[in-house]
Amino acid sequence: MTAVGQMTTSAPTGGTALRAAAGETLLEVEDLAVEFRTPDGTVRAVDGLSYSVRAGETLAIVGESGCGKSVSSLAVMGLLAPTARITKGAARFRGTDLLALRPKEHRRYCGEHVAMVFQDALAALNPVHTVGYQLGEALRARHGVSRGEARRRAVELLDLVKVPNARQRVDEYPHQFSGGMRQRVMIASALAMDPEVLIADEPTTALDVTVQAQVLRLLAEIQAERTMALVLITHDMGVVAGVADDVTVMYAGRAVEQAPVREIFAAPAHPYTRALLRSVPSLATRGAAAGAGARADAKAAGGRLDVIPGRPPSPGQVPSGCPFHPRCEVAQDVCRTDPPPLAAIPAEALTTAAPRAAACHFALDVLGGARG
Amino acid sequence: MGRYILRRSLQAVGTLFLVVFVLHLLTTFAIQLNGNPALAFFGDRVPSASQVAAVEARFGLDDPCFDQVGNPCLGPFAERLAGYAQGDFGTNLRGREVTDIVATAAPNTLKLFAVVTVTWLVMGMFLGSMAARWRGRPADHGIRMTSVLIDAFPIFVLLLVYRYVFSVPLSEWARSTFGSDSLPAQLFRPSFDADHAWASVLVPGLLLGLAGSAAFIRLVRASQLESYAGEHVRTARSKGLHERHVLLHHVVRNSSVPVVTAVGLTFTEALAGAVITEGMMNIYGMGGVLWEAVRGSDIGLVIGVVTILAIVTVVVMIVVDVAYAALDPRIRYE
Ligand SMILES: Nc1ncnc2c1ncn2[C@@H]1O[C@H](COP(=O)(O)OP(=O)(O)OP(=O)(O)O)[C@@H](O)[C@H]1O
Ligand code: SF4
Ligand SMILES: [Mg+2]
Repeated sequence: MTAVGQMTTSAPTGGTALRAAAGETLLEVEDLAVEFRTPDGTVRAVDGLSYSVRAGETLAIVGESGCGKSVSSLAVMGLLAPTARITKGAARFRGTDLLALRPKEHRRYCGEHVAMVFQDALAALNPVHTVGYQLGEALRARHGVSRGEARRRAVELLDLVKVPNARQRVDEYPHQFSGGMRQRVMIASALAMDPEVLIADEPTTALDVTVQAQVLRLLAEIQAERTMALVLITHDMGVVAGVADDVTVMYAGRAVEQAPVREIFAAPAHPYTRALLRSVPSLATRGAAAGAGARADAKAAGGRLDVIPGRPPSPGQVPSGCPFHPRCEVAQDVCRTDPPPLAAIPAEALTTAAPRAAACHFALDVLGGARG
Repeated sequence: MGRYILRRSLQAVGTLFLVVFVLHLLTTFAIQLNGNPALAFFGDRVPSASQVAAVEARFGLDDPCFDQVGNPCLGPFAERLAGYAQGDFGTNLRGREVTDIVATAAPNTLKLFAVVTVTWLVMGMFLGSMAARWRGRPADHGIRMTSVLIDAFPIFVLLLVYRYVFSVPLSEWARSTFGSDSLPAQLFRPSFDADHAWASVLVPGLLLGLAGSAAFIRLVRASQLESYAGEHVRTARSKGLHERHVLLHHVVRNSSVPVVTAVGLTFTEALAGAVITEGMMNIYGMGGVLWEAVRGSDIGLVIGVVTILAIVTVVVMIVVDVAYAALDPRIRYE
């Protein structure tokens, strides 16, 4: 985790509350499974997901639409729909398993310690309250801060996320903001109580590319400044390259590959990761610090976008064996019958000390470039 | 906001003018087809030609246009508008000022209305919220069943059953148990008593409110369910706010927008209900006055009362619209 070490030593330590020491594991999700009751029976949307994220680091969770990224985050926040059930697993914040708490206790960690930024800020913000009200709401309701003080803090938060004219805009309503500014408000709202962990669920998907880059840069800045742990959910590998330290690639509710960002870009160990990397449009123009291997791959594909054929399975119809096998270009017979476990890649196959894991029968071959 | 109110007020004046004009056309054609309403003044007596002419002159019916079928009678209409502008809403056949009649009748209607509105607001908000909160549970099913059941009994059926089946035995029982001047005895009186106005409008008002609340319960439930499903509610929860706070500031507050719209619609419905209720329960109110005026062919009184009711309705609509805009900033800033 060399990149991380550099980042945290150069970052100024947050001045206000007692911050976690950089590198301390703040959020640890272990073997999480979430099921939904549907008219067609019970379906498993998240199946045995584990990840952890440390103070001052960013974990990117990547995968196509419907692979369970949002559901797993909502489970951590205790915000799942009533039809959902967490069937197993833990989500530990500094050692406390949030999922084992009573809902009321769990709720207390939300916002205060673990906060979430939602994808569609227009829908996620309340249209009938001013931005200022929504930014100061939790401070007032939970910390008993006065109206005037809450307003002052709201202005500060808007300044923090670089909304111009904060003093005036604090009294406006969400629909009066542009998409990018609204997403900044959403981020400010999540930061209101100075959480140690921020889960950002596709915070830039609804925005156009230039605004995306600005918002991502802002998130990275704030994260470094506050030594926050950031879980960045995205379906865009291009986003990952610029900001993440570690990557978890999800497919059909499971983690299929987990590795530091440099390693995964240099040499993916799972065919799905490799396919995702090929589908990234012009990594170079995004200024991404991508590994040379990925660029070579993109070139090999003739510079075109190489979309993965087929669609990801819905949770009710996960294929037997390896869930990716119908779309995998290197699938073998064994893939159709035996599900590959998420297994650590032996140290001798790795170029750095950082551990990696992949759920593929042929991970070593893929990693070594022997397949595909 | 100021410009919004101004715009709505101007629209309202236009609407009002249209209502009054249509009313004028309808009554004019009725007079032209049915014959001289001045005759109603004399009841069963047969008046002389000069007597009829005098009465016609007094009620503004002497214009020859009233004898020509199809003539819109714009002259008398303009005269009447000029009268309205000076607060003169005409007189009834007995020469009593319409405004005076309304002044004595309106307070009783308002009392009935207050009971009706409080009943259905409380019932609707409370039961609707409960149903939404416990969606799919027995409480929800029970409340929805009840609301359908209420709908199956139109207000006049409720009133008939109450008045002719329950009211007499109940009031007799109350009189013999608590004394004839006791509150329960007043409550269950089968007809209106001006000395105990509140007591005698209470039960009819509750029934009318109950009948109106059925649709309102379903509306509150539906709009709150929509709010519950809203992503902003999830955001509010993600901030760690108490469920009670989320409910109040993000569910109920947001669902108040459609609810206020419904209040406006239900108001007009309750007005119609009040006419029936007052007629059936002999309550001396606006509805009762109108009921009598129509039966007695008292055209002047009908026009005056309907115009005043139209003004009240339009004013309520403006108030509702302004409340709507106050509650939903997206409308205010359009
Ligand atoms: N309330 C629900 N009832 C039934 N199934 C659901 C429900 N919510 C989500 N799912 C299922 O869970 C799966 C994972 O959904 P999730 O929202 O986590 O996907 P995602 O990875 O966040 O995708 P996206 O990139 O589109 O946001 C989906 O396939 C969806 O069908
Ligand atoms: S296990 Fe087989 S099907 Fe699955 S990713 Fe690996 S090679 Fe492809
Ligand atoms: Mg999602």
